[in-house]
Amino acid sequence: MADTPETVPLPAPEERERLTRIQIDRSCRQTVVWYYASAVFWLLVGSALALIASLKMHTPGFLADWEWLTFGRARPAHLAAMIYGWGSMAGVGTLLWLQARLTRNRLPFPTLLPATAVIWNLTVAFGVVAILAGYSTSIEWIEIPPSTAILFGFCIAAIIAASIRMFRSRESKHTYVSQWYLFGAIFWFPLLYVSAQLFLHTPAAKGAVKAAANWWFAHNVLGLWFTPIGLATVYYLIPKVIGRPVHSYHLSLLGFWSLAIFYNWAGTHHLIGGPLPAWLITVGIVGSVMMFVPVVTVAVNHHLTMVGHFHHLKYSPTLRFIVYGAMCYTAVSFQGSLQSLRSVNEISHFTHYTIAHAHLGVYAFFTMVMFGAIYYVAPRLLNAEWHSAAWIRVHFWTTAVGMAIYWLGLTWAGWEQGKMMNDPRIPFLDIVRFTVPWLWSRSAAGVLMTIGHLSFAWLFWNMLRQRGAYLPGPTLLIRKDEPVAVGGGE
Amino acid sequence: MAAFYLALWGLAGLLGASAIAALVWAIRRGEFDQLREASQSIFDDEEPVGKVTDRFPDKRF
Amino acid sequence: MNRAWLLVVGVIATIVASVTGLVLLPDRQLRSTGPVEDEDRGITLPVAYFGDAEEGRKVYMDLGCIYCHTQQVRPEGFGADIERGWGMRRSVARDYIHDEPPLMGTMRTGPDLMNIGARQPSAQWHYLHLYEPRITSPGSIMPPHRFLFEVRHSADGLPEDAVRLPDEFARRKPSWIVPRDRARWLVAYLLSLDHNYEVPEAR
Repeated sequence: MADTPETVPLPAPEERERLTRIQIDRSCRQTVVWYYASAVFWLLVGSALALIASLKMHTPGFLADWEWLTFGRARPAHLAAMIYGWGSMAGVGTLLWLQARLTRNRLPFPTLLPATAVIWNLTVAFGVVAILAGYSTSIEWIEIPPSTAILFGFCIAAIIAASIRMFRSRESKHTYVSQWYLFGAIFWFPLLYVSAQLFLHTPAAKGAVKAAANWWFAHNVLGLWFTPIGLATVYYLIPKVIGRPVHSYHLSLLGFWSLAIFYNWAGTHHLIGGPLPAWLITVGIVGSVMMFVPVVTVAVNHHLTMVGHFHHLKYSPTLRFIVYGAMCYTAVSFQGSLQSLRSVNEISHFTHYTIAHAHLGVYAFFTMVMFGAIYYVAPRLLNAEWHSAAWIRVHFWTTAVGMAIYWLGLTWAGWEQGKMMNDPRIPFLDIVRFTVPWLWSRSAAGVLMTIGHLSFAWLFWNMLRQRGAYLPGPTLLIRKDEPVAVGGGE
Repeated sequence: MAAFYLALWGLAGLLGASAIAALVWAIRRGEFDQLREASQSIFDDEEPVGKVTDRFPDKRF
Repeated sequence: MNRAWLLVVGVIATIVASVTGLVLLPDRQLRSTGPVEDEDRGITLPVAYFGDAEEGRKVYMDLGCIYCHTQQVRPEGFGADIERGWGMRRSVARDYIHDEPPLMGTMRTGPDLMNIGARQPSAQWHYLHLYEPRITSPGSIMPPHRFLFEVRHSADGLPEDAVRLPDEFARRKPSWIVPRDRARWLVAYLLSLDHNYEVPEAR
């Protein structure tokens, strides 16, 4: 197993770099594989809960006598499993690997960091079971009990410590743009989580203001935790996969700071028309509209980086997922800015349109980017090739098409639903009947996406068993017509 | 409660001011001058600009 | 000092600024809001939850009602909430002073419940609706909450709040549903949801 420098006498400079990279990837193996494997587990749990909730929406009699799985519990449990289980754990794994790569340092704390993965899992499991058992806080996006803040806080503290330690002894004198995003994410998340728990569960905020605190938090989980991790991944992997530096580094820095300044303020657009001071809602709308700045800079930048290299989409699984995700980031952000305008919100608020929008962000953008990252990172950690290209294609097409059906169906249905709701002559139950076929389309999309998740889990399981071709180096580029490069001990 | 608010406002102001100070300091020190090099920092001799580093695991496209 | 601190400080500053603006400032503005006096009835409004309604609020939370029902009436001219009869006025921050946490919701798969107690004042209606929503609302996609009830087939010793199931919904005829405590509490809470009174800020 060991690729030690001694096996290759007097390595050339580029061989040294290769070995350094192998060592960095090796140092991440235990921790990142733990995080990824857990993430995949939660992805399956979350998918099962999602299907249950989705089926119940058009067939309310389904599993109706089991209180634990009543719609009002399965739905938040799905969210908790996906957000805190799948999304956050895949995110943390990627974040740690990226930081090791970018600072050219080995990942420190080989015992503590895998331990945080175990604690994180137990915390999520506790949260999901608590929701199913009826102990939800009934506050959207943060239904899991407040005591989890201590455990998540501990894990994040260890991750921050590792990040700072790697950063301080970094080799490169340049800070790459991904590092800015990762540092943002790693400090924002604990601040968000802990302060949200304080505002929501202590008298620090009262009554209606708790709703403002709720949406300040919920929107920022996407904006200041998932989005920066996702963008950091995109900023690293697109240039790395196609072998071309990011088009404009100026734009990427502008993108970071405008995101940091504006995204924070967008959350209260979830309360338009609600019982809070008008100025507060207006601030949320202004913040949301200003999000055009970071989004346009990121979109233009990635597009210009990709120009002339789109043919790689055919050959690279990583790039497929990442580019799909990056495009959906642009789409979801534009949609989000428009949705915060009062005239649009008057129709879209309280409808399935919002649900479609949320999935466009968390799934089409973030989840797809994380799939792409795992396709890139896991082979380098485990020195094995993905064992089947066919399953990767199944994964890509089921999730990509499933997500498209999901979004189109619910966006259309939600928009019509909103217009009907604003016409008092239409009886409410007629609106409900109108939405039912579209809820079926959502279930169909969910089945497709779940098939994708199962193929991904199957691929990952075989990756863990190193069933694919053995990889001596940290790259996937071994051509059959090319002698396998040195560095392996076999 | 008044003391709580005063502390929070003080903290917010302090952090805001230090962010601006840090930004000014960074610009003066030329942290934003070598952007091209920064964008190249993820490449090296072994995985240079121009080298594609990912593809499907088999040869059948 | 190195770039790490620039990042860290900037990052923390942005979030402190937004929490100040979006949570602390509104809290400062709204904290002193109190109940209004209703001199005719000699009570203050909104009425604080107590007893069964207070317990029922917890049931509402643990069953996740918020994922399909809002508790907020939008102002006239913005949506059709008032025209639909969901309330006689828009909701204001004062309505939530006893709500910890507020259950405003963001989704209307079902109708708004801000004033459901005024709209459907019958406990029997609520029991039937909770047991099998399609009894009272044909075409509804609300999940049945049969687990909140006991079913009996004999009229002997039925408690006062037992409700006879319509025959087409009963597996064995006759059937009565007897609400368990949680159903009783939940309905007490729903019946307490009535904000149809004037407040100075929504005139």
